[in-house]
Amino acid sequence: MITKSRINRAQITGLLLPGLLIFGMFTVYPIIRLFWMSLCDMSFSSMLIQPFAGIMNYREVFHDSTFWTVFVNSIVYTLVTVPGQMALGLFIAILLNGIRRFSVTFRVINYLPVVTSWVIASLVFRYIFNTEGMLNYFLWKMLGITSGNIRWLDTRWSGLSVAMILGIWKGIGWNMVIFLAALQQVPQDLYEAAEIDGCGAWKKFVNVTLPAIRGTILFALIELTIGGFNVFTSIKMITGGKPAHQTDTLLTWMYYKAFSTGKFGYAAALSFVMALSLGLLAIVQFRMMRNRDA
Amino acid sequence: MKSKNAAKIRAAVIRYLLLALGTVIFTLPMIYMISTSLRPNGALYEYPPRFFPRWEALTLENYDYILHQSKFYLNFLNSAIVSVSTIVAAALVGSAMAFVLGKFKSKGTRLLFAFIIITMIIPGTTMIVPQFELATRLGMVNQLWGLIPFYVAWVIPFSTFMIKGFMENIPGEIMEAAWIDGADVWTVYSKIAMPLASPAIASVSIFNFLTAWEEYPWANTVINDNSKRTLPIAIAGFFGQHQFTQWGYVFAMSVLTLIPVVLIFILCQKFFVQGLTAGSVKG
Amino acid sequence: MRTFTRILTLLLACMMLAVISPAMAEEQSVTINFWHHYSAQSAENETLMNVLIPAFEAENPGIKVNAVSHEWAELHDKVLVSANSNALPDVARCDIAWLPEFQKMGILVALDEEMPDFTDVSGQLLDSAMSTAVIGGHYYALALNTNSKIVFYNTAMLEAAGVKVPTTMDEWTEAIKKLSGENANGQQVWGWNEPALAGWNICPFIWSFGGSLTNEDQTAATGYINSPETVKAIETFAGLVKAGGITGFNAGDIPMTDGFGTGRYAMMLEGPWKSAELAGAYPDVAYGTAPIPAGEGGSISVLGGEDIAMFNTANREAAWKFMQFMTSEYAETEMAKCGQIPVNKAALESDTVKAADYAPFIEAIQTAKARPTVAAWSEMDNELQVAMNAVVTGEKTAQEAMDELAASWDILLK
Repeated sequence: MITKSRINRAQITGLLLPGLLIFGMFTVYPIIRLFWMSLCDMSFSSMLIQPFAGIMNYREVFHDSTFWTVFVNSIVYTLVTVPGQMALGLFIAILLNGIRRFSVTFRVINYLPVVTSWVIASLVFRYIFNTEGMLNYFLWKMLGITSGNIRWLDTRWSGLSVAMILGIWKGIGWNMVIFLAALQQVPQDLYEAAEIDGCGAWKKFVNVTLPAIRGTILFALIELTIGGFNVFTSIKMITGGKPAHQTDTLLTWMYYKAFSTGKFGYAAALSFVMALSLGLLAIVQFRMMRNRDA
Repeated sequence: MKSKNAAKIRAAVIRYLLLALGTVIFTLPMIYMISTSLRPNGALYEYPPRFFPRWEALTLENYDYILHQSKFYLNFLNSAIVSVSTIVAAALVGSAMAFVLGKFKSKGTRLLFAFIIITMIIPGTTMIVPQFELATRLGMVNQLWGLIPFYVAWVIPFSTFMIKGFMENIPGEIMEAAWIDGADVWTVYSKIAMPLASPAIASVSIFNFLTAWEEYPWANTVINDNSKRTLPIAIAGFFGQHQFTQWGYVFAMSVLTLIPVVLIFILCQKFFVQGLTAGSVKG
Repeated sequence: MRTFTRILTLLLACMMLAVISPAMAEEQSVTINFWHHYSAQSAENETLMNVLIPAFEAENPGIKVNAVSHEWAELHDKVLVSANSNALPDVARCDIAWLPEFQKMGILVALDEEMPDFTDVSGQLLDSAMSTAVIGGHYYALALNTNSKIVFYNTAMLEAAGVKVPTTMDEWTEAIKKLSGENANGQQVWGWNEPALAGWNICPFIWSFGGSLTNEDQTAATGYINSPETVKAIETFAGLVKAGGITGFNAGDIPMTDGFGTGRYAMMLEGPWKSAELAGAYPDVAYGTAPIPAGEGGSISVLGGEDIAMFNTANREAAWKFMQFMTSEYAETEMAKCGQIPVNKAALESDTVKAADYAPFIEAIQTAKARPTVAAWSEMDNELQVAMNAVVTGEKTAQEAMDELAASWDILLK
């Protein structure tokens, strides 16, 4: 490259700078600050003056029984919604991959829940799952499956279930699109070879499809795990943590501690624990998929 | 051969049936929302409940209220201002970063890119406490424009990641030719790279629009004034009173909020798919 | 692409203008930010926005009022969070239970120290109501309205069940049991609605059963919140919940007004604003009112009400004018039309107020008690809800839950 001299370093920096400034100030700085805040003793009246408190906040987090409740809630939410969305999304992608007509129509309709905002979708689900709502009437009076109104929103696990059903409903479309793209890239001759070997549909799926789309599965797994721990709006709108914080998740509890009780240090410590465990989890997921490769 | 054909047709029929069933499940909640928005508030607890309101009970009174009595236009304008500003800023800033990171590979740029991607692991809401403190110190609390830099910062990693992939695929010869003609970095970016990457920028912008349009936790935390609220907070605010909830109003406003999003999505669904798949297949 | 860019630039320029121009226009006049929790679609809010604020702005050219409505619990949180972000409003309508907490944070203005004409203004308001604004010998707010809760009952449902309006807690228990069950449609019906399990909801029962929350000095809870009387009140309440007689505090329940209006809840304990709300949403429902049934401790309701307070970041002169206006005879009379009981002595004598028939509420106020006036009340209230939830779900017995609560409150009260 003879022209290298023309490449002006100052101009390159100039192009990078606005982005780096915004990103550094509003994302990187808060991450660092988060760690520092988690070591400080803070309350509403001392939000801007922060005495150092060591690991006090972390100790408080780990000794708090509600923390463990919401921690389990977040784990369960993720463990249910991530495989749920992926399996159903992949299933629909496989169905779509085999048809010619209306493929785009189905794809557009199935993607609609993804573009529906969380606030709106949560309110709709809350309305449907109301104790006196349409769903209970349908199950009880029309189908006769249940023998009374199920109190969906009133207990820990049923309230979380509604949020999880919403999470799956809203996430299938995204999975469908990315898996469909992956499926379309699987070489057709692999299937033909498998067919010659006498593989049935299931065997073809396990032996050909799954290994071929492993990269996409890993991508979805990491993205959705982060998304699962990020659940906030749906919980806040559907149960509001009722009864007595039993349906809160990590983030809604963190938010409550920070903005309703002023325990900003506690909230920061909780957030930091969460970010750290997500980072570790991502590394583990990455390693697992890589190892299987070798 | 005949039996194989029959099997194929049977398989196709099953596929369509399953897909149709899926479509019903996907759309039912939305249809119920629309049907609820069309009935009078007093009929919400009627017995037996109906999926569709009675024909003679159909009414637009909820829409009338939302359009004439509430601050809907203002909320809509607020959301539009924030979303459009976010996507424009993110497109400029993100494409510039993607251009540098994709076309001027060095140890430094590689490291920077890796760092940007790693931050994507941390869910946005976890940082709400330090971000709130930052907004406080910068005087950005209860300011509509104050939302924008935070949104831009959130979407930068994803935008850069997506556009960078596209930039890398721009043939080196085109740039080579420009250097020889004596163009500088700025010219190559604005006259060559940016126009060529516009499909990627467009698809990223749609995602960024959705992010900003529906964002709730942050806006709800920093915005106080009714006249500065964006649509999601306005809708949630309707719902707030636990004495009684006017579901008709809530859903009428929701439908009006969803219309632009669904329109954009249907019109641009090609870009959508492009954007999504580019990220996942590479990953 | 080029046209697209041009359109975008134009759009952006317009938006910038739209954002900046109101900010520039504001400079000539003072704007008072007033936060409140009149619900957005209520008659009170209509009056505030369409009658009171225009009248105030006409009277005081150069002062604009920016009224912001928050949900009740959110208003409390927003004030606390804004304390350090220079985003506090000038004036807020605060639940009387919040004042000690706000005062402790040092964000309220001591009105009797800073306003020379304070005595003249406060002299127009009821002494009993003004006492809610006194902390440590200083006045931190003006009383705005007062209230208490009484029983609302659905006349037709009580008649159909052959139930008299309960006057004692024993009759109350019996009435709830008789009123609960199924209606003609096969839908479940509850004798009593209680929309939450907080102090505002539970205290009337504790007090009427002869129990208490803390000692007189508000320094200790053991022996009070876990006294036999308190535990009996909680047990009775939880027993009725388990028997299907009381509901309303679950996330999936029918909201209070809807349930009462559609005949699903037979009785509820509510404040003066409920009449206006029912008249608007369910004009056909026939109902009566009665004092809360008496127990060992008498018929004791909870004292509610709001004060209007000024924050230390306020534009004092303009804020003080607005506070005086809101507590004036004119404003209080207007608000009385939509269910706010005035505390302005002149307004109380007006024909509007006499016609509004607040007598049962004013009578309840005579015997009503206030929730603990301590800075830690919000935190205590939250713990009370958690404890109550454990009792009504059967996780803990009333005695266990209250013993634990007492120990925890003791620490908070120190």
